[in-house]
Amino acid sequence: MRKFKIPIVAVLVAAMIVLPGCSSKRAGVVVYASEDQVFSEPILRDFERDTGIPVKPVFDTEEAKSTGVMNRLLAEKNNPQADVYWANEPIRAEVLKQENVAAAYQSPGAEGIPAHFKDPQGYWTGFSARARVLLVNNSVAEKPKSITAYSDPAFSGKTVIANPLFGTTTTEIAALFILWGDEKAKTFLSDMKRNHVKISTSNGESADFVASGESALSLVDSDDGANRIKQGKPVEIIYPDQGDNESGCFIVPNAVVLIKDGPHPEAAKRLIDYLLSAETERKLAASDAAQIPLHEGVETPAIVRKIENIKTMQADYAAVARKMREIEPLLKQWAGL
Amino acid sequence: MALIVFDCVSKAYSGQTALHDFSLTVEPGQRVAILGPSGCGKTTVLRLLAGFIAPDAGTISIDGQVVAKNGKILQQPEQRHIGMVFQDLALWPHLTVAGNLEFGLKAQGISKSERIQRINGILQLVEMDTYLRTRPAQLSGGQQQRVALARALVLRPKALLMDEPLSNLDEELNQHLRGELLRLHAQLGFTLLYVTHDRAEAVEIGTCVVRMRQGSIERIVSTEELKSR
Amino acid sequence: MNTRRVTLCAALLVLLILGVAPIALMFARSLSVNGAFSLESYQHLLATGRSWQLLSNSLGLAMITAVICTLVGLPLGLLFAKTDLPLRRVFVLLFTLPLVIPPYIMAVSWSDTLAPHGLASSFFGPATTQKLSGLLFGSPGCVLVLASTFMPAVMLATMTFTRTINPRLEEAARLSARALRVLGGITIPLIWPGVLLAATLVFLLALGEFGVPTFLRYQVFAVESFTQFTASYNFGAATAAAVPLALLTFLLLGIEWFALREKIQPLRPASESDSNYHVSLRSYRVPLFALVSILCAIVVLTPVLSLLLQGGSTQSYLRAFRVVSDSLMRSIFLAAIGATALTALGFFTGYLIHTRGLSIWRAVDAGTVLLFALPGTVIGMGLITLWNRPATNFIYATPLIIVFGYLAQYTALTGRVTVAGLTLVPASMEEAAATVGANWMRRLGLIVLPLVKHALVAGWLIAYIFCLRDTGIAMLVYPPGYDTLPVRIFTLMANGAPSLIAAACMLMIAATVLPLLGVAALVRTQRRRRLWR
Repeated sequence: MRKFKIPIVAVLVAAMIVLPGCSSKRAGVVVYASEDQVFSEPILRDFERDTGIPVKPVFDTEEAKSTGVMNRLLAEKNNPQADVYWANEPIRAEVLKQENVAAAYQSPGAEGIPAHFKDPQGYWTGFSARARVLLVNNSVAEKPKSITAYSDPAFSGKTVIANPLFGTTTTEIAALFILWGDEKAKTFLSDMKRNHVKISTSNGESADFVASGESALSLVDSDDGANRIKQGKPVEIIYPDQGDNESGCFIVPNAVVLIKDGPHPEAAKRLIDYLLSAETERKLAASDAAQIPLHEGVETPAIVRKIENIKTMQADYAAVARKMREIEPLLKQWAGL
Repeated sequence: MALIVFDCVSKAYSGQTALHDFSLTVEPGQRVAILGPSGCGKTTVLRLLAGFIAPDAGTISIDGQVVAKNGKILQQPEQRHIGMVFQDLALWPHLTVAGNLEFGLKAQGISKSERIQRINGILQLVEMDTYLRTRPAQLSGGQQQRVALARALVLRPKALLMDEPLSNLDEELNQHLRGELLRLHAQLGFTLLYVTHDRAEAVEIGTCVVRMRQGSIERIVSTEELKSR
Repeated sequence: MNTRRVTLCAALLVLLILGVAPIALMFARSLSVNGAFSLESYQHLLATGRSWQLLSNSLGLAMITAVICTLVGLPLGLLFAKTDLPLRRVFVLLFTLPLVIPPYIMAVSWSDTLAPHGLASSFFGPATTQKLSGLLFGSPGCVLVLASTFMPAVMLATMTFTRTINPRLEEAARLSARALRVLGGITIPLIWPGVLLAATLVFLLALGEFGVPTFLRYQVFAVESFTQFTASYNFGAATAAAVPLALLTFLLLGIEWFALREKIQPLRPASESDSNYHVSLRSYRVPLFALVSILCAIVVLTPVLSLLLQGGSTQSYLRAFRVVSDSLMRSIFLAAIGATALTALGFFTGYLIHTRGLSIWRAVDAGTVLLFALPGTVIGMGLITLWNRPATNFIYATPLIIVFGYLAQYTALTGRVTVAGLTLVPASMEEAAATVGANWMRRLGLIVLPLVKHALVAGWLIAYIFCLRDTGIAMLVYPPGYDTLPVRIFTLMANGAPSLIAAACMLMIAATVLPLLGVAALVRTQRRRRLWR
C-alpha cells in the first residue's frame, strides 16, 4: 500500500483539478463579460437566483483594456467555451459577427429597443448605454453645447480627451469620420491639436482633470460624469449637439452576443433575454454604472437621462467598426504614439 | 621577552569546552608543535591567536601587548602581523599566485617596488618563481602548499601558524615539504606554531611539543627528550 | 532500456508538450497571413521606427533596473549575511516582501500613496506629493516599482552565495587586510558571477514586464506589442512582437554560458560547525542601521502601509475576504499544486542539465529560460491554440490548463534551483551507491533526493510565489468561474472600490507570506532539535 501512496495522492489531486471543469459542461451558462465585474456580476447573480441556472463568468481585466476576453473568444473560435458575450460597447460585438464567432438570435427582450442599437440580423443587441457627454467644470461661465468646443479658441489649452487609441473615444471619433466625412473629421482633429488639447489615459482621468479644474471640459462617458457629480465635484454634464440640425449625442450601448456553437445554447438564450429586460436596465441605471436604458419608460435616477430625452447620433455601428481599423494609423500619428 | 603568551585561556562553543585554562608561552624564533587527537582544541589555539575568535576567559598577548581578553578582541587580525597556513590552504581561486601574495602587501600599504621585490624573493625561496601568473587551480598539491607558505611569509609575520598543512599530501611530498619548512625557518628565523595529529611530524618540526587532550595541555616536552625515548 | 535515459526523456517530453509545442504553434502562426507563408508581421514590426524606439525604452528600463538592483541588493545582501547589523532577519523579510507581490499591485499602491489624499500627502503636503506623483507616471516610477520588486532577488542571491564561501578564504585575507578590503577584494569577486546571474534574471523579468509600464504610462516594447495585438486581434503580430524578447534572452544566455558559468565557484554547504566569517560594524552600526531603516521605510513599508490603510477597517477586510475568498482559496490551491508539479519537473530537468544526461542538455537549459522570459500572454495564446479542442476539453476546460501554463513558464526557476542544489552533492555520492548495487531509481530516491531536499524546498517556495502572483497566463486561460486572486483583483480594478482592491491585495500578500513564514519556523525548529541531539 505504501508504494502506491504517491500515485493515489496524485490521482486524487488530478481529480480535484479536472472535475470542476467537467461539471461545467453539464449545466449552467458560460458568459464572457467586458462590462466591469462590479456592475455585471450582481446582474448575473440575480439571473442565477431567479432562474436556478448557474452562471460561470469570465471577466475582463483593467490591464487588458476590455479586449482580453475578446481575444479569448477569437482564439477559442474552433471550440467555443463561452455561451454569451456581454460587451460594453457594440464594436466588439460587430467584430465577433465579422469573425463568424456570433450566432443570430432575435430575443423577445430586444423588442422596444431602437433599431439602430441592434444588429438587423440579430447577431448582437444593445442595452444599457453610456452617452458620450461633455463634462464641464462649473467655473466655465458659458457652457459649450457641442463637441466642436474642442476647436473653440475660447477653450484653448483647457480641454482634455482620453487616449484615442482605446475605448469609447476611438469609437466616437470613427463615428464622426463616418458622419462628417474624412476631410472634415481630419480637420477637426487638427484643430483640436492646434487648440492644445491634452491627452489623458482614460475617460476616468479626463473626468478627474475637469473635476479638479485643471481642464475646463472633456468628452467622457456619462457614467464617469455621473460618478463625479455623485462625489460632489463641481462639474456639470452636457449632452452635446442636441439642436435641430445637429448630429446628436453618440451613444455607446452594452451589447449581448450569442456565441456560435456554444455548449449551452438554451441557457444562453435565457440569459440574453434576461439581460435585455427592462428590469436589468433599471438595475444598471440605478447602480454606479449609471447606464441609460434603451427601453423607453424605464425608471431611472435623476442623474441618468432617459433615452427618449436625448437626441442620439444615428450611427451605423458596423460601419464604425470598419472605420476604426482604417483610421488607427492616423490616430496613432495624431496622438504622437 | 616572550613573543606569545596564553594566560589561562578558556573557550567554549555552544556549551562544549574547546579549551580549558590553557596557558602557553612561546619565545621568539621557537618552533612549537601542538600535538593531539581531533577535537582536542589545537585549531582553537591557532584561531584565538590569529584573532578570528575571542577567548571566553584569560588573556592572549603578542609581543608584550594584550590582544584579547575575557571575551573581547582588543587587536584585530590584520593588526597582529600573524601569518597562517590553513589546513585547506585557502588560496584565493580568482587571483594568480602573484595576486595571492600581493593582496596582503597592498593592504598593508607596502610600495609597489617593495611588493615586487618581496614577492619575487619569497617565491624564489619556495621555488615557485616561475608561477607568478598561474592560478591556484592549475597547481599541484605540493605547489599549492608552497604558495600558501609564501603568502604567509611574504608579510614577514611575527609568528607563522600552520594548521595541519601537510595532512592531505602523500608521504614523500610530506617529507620533502617538512624539510623545506625547516630550511625556510633556518633562513628567516620566524616563530612557528605547528598543529598536527602526527607524532613523527611534531617531533621533526618542533623544538618543543605541546601535547593536548580535551582542551587542556597534557604535557610540554622538548623534542630532544622525545627523540631520546 | 536504461531507466535513467527513459525518465529524463519523459521529462523532456513533458516540457516539449507543455512548453515548446504551444510556442512553436504561435511562432508558426506568426509566419502565416491568411493561410499563406508571410513575413508581414515581422516586416511591420521592424519597419516602424517606433518599434525600435520602444525596444530601446524596454532595454533601457531593464538595464537601469538591473543595475540599481545590483547596486542596492549586493551591499544589502552583504550587510545582512556578513555583519552584525541589528534586526537583520527582520530586514530580510521586509525587503523580500515586494518580490512576492505582483509588480502591478506595487504600482497601484504607489499610485495610492502619491494620490492627492494618500499617505505621502500627510507627510510632504499636497504640492510636493503632486510633483512626486508626476514623476511616478513615467520611467522613474517604473524604475522605482521594478527595482523595489526585483532587488530582493539580487539581495538573496548575494546572501546565498556569500554563506557558501569557504570562510578560510576570508580569514586568510583578514590576517592582512581590514574587513572592507576583504569584502571588496575577496568576498565580492568570489560571489560576483552568482550575483551577475541574479542580475540577469532581473533584467529578463524587467524586460518582459508590461503590467507596470502600462499602469504607469511608460511606452515600452512589451506594452505596445501587447496593446497592438489586443486592439487588432492579431495573434501573429503578438508572437512576432515577442521574438525580439526571445532573441535578447538567447543573447543573455550566451553571455551567461561563455562568460559566467565556468567562473561560478561551486557552492559548498555551510556546515554547522563552520564559523561563518562575520564583520563587526562597530561605530558604523548605528548610521548603517538608520540608512537601511530609511530605505526599508521608503521602498517597502510606505507602499505596503498605504495598501493596508487603504484597505480600511477590520470590517472592510472581512467584507473583502467574503468577496474574494473563493478566488483566494483557488489561488492557494493552484499555486501549491503548480509548485509541486514544478518541483518535480524542475528536479528532472535540473538533473538532466547538471549531469548532462542527454546530449541536448544545453538546449533544454536554453528552452526553459526562453519560456520564462516570454510574456505570459504569448504562452497563454499558445495554450489555447494547442489545447482548446473537443478531445482535450478535460484539460482546457479545467484548472489543469492553468497548471500547464505554470509548468511551461516557470520550470526554469525550479530547474536552476535544482542545479544549484545538485552542485553541492559530490558525484561520488551517487557513484558509491552504484557500487553497492543500487539501481538508478533507488540512488535517486534514497541518495540524491535526500541530499538536495533543501534545494527542493527552496524551489517549491519560489515556484509557489511565482504561481500565486501569476496573471498573464491565468488571465487568458482560467476556466469560467475559476478566476484566481490576481485576476480577480485586476477585474475589480475597473470601477471597484479602492478599499476593496487594497484589502484584496493585502490578502494576496498574506497568502504568499504566511506559508513562507511557516516553512521558516519549521526549519528553525528542526535545526534546534538537531542541536539538542
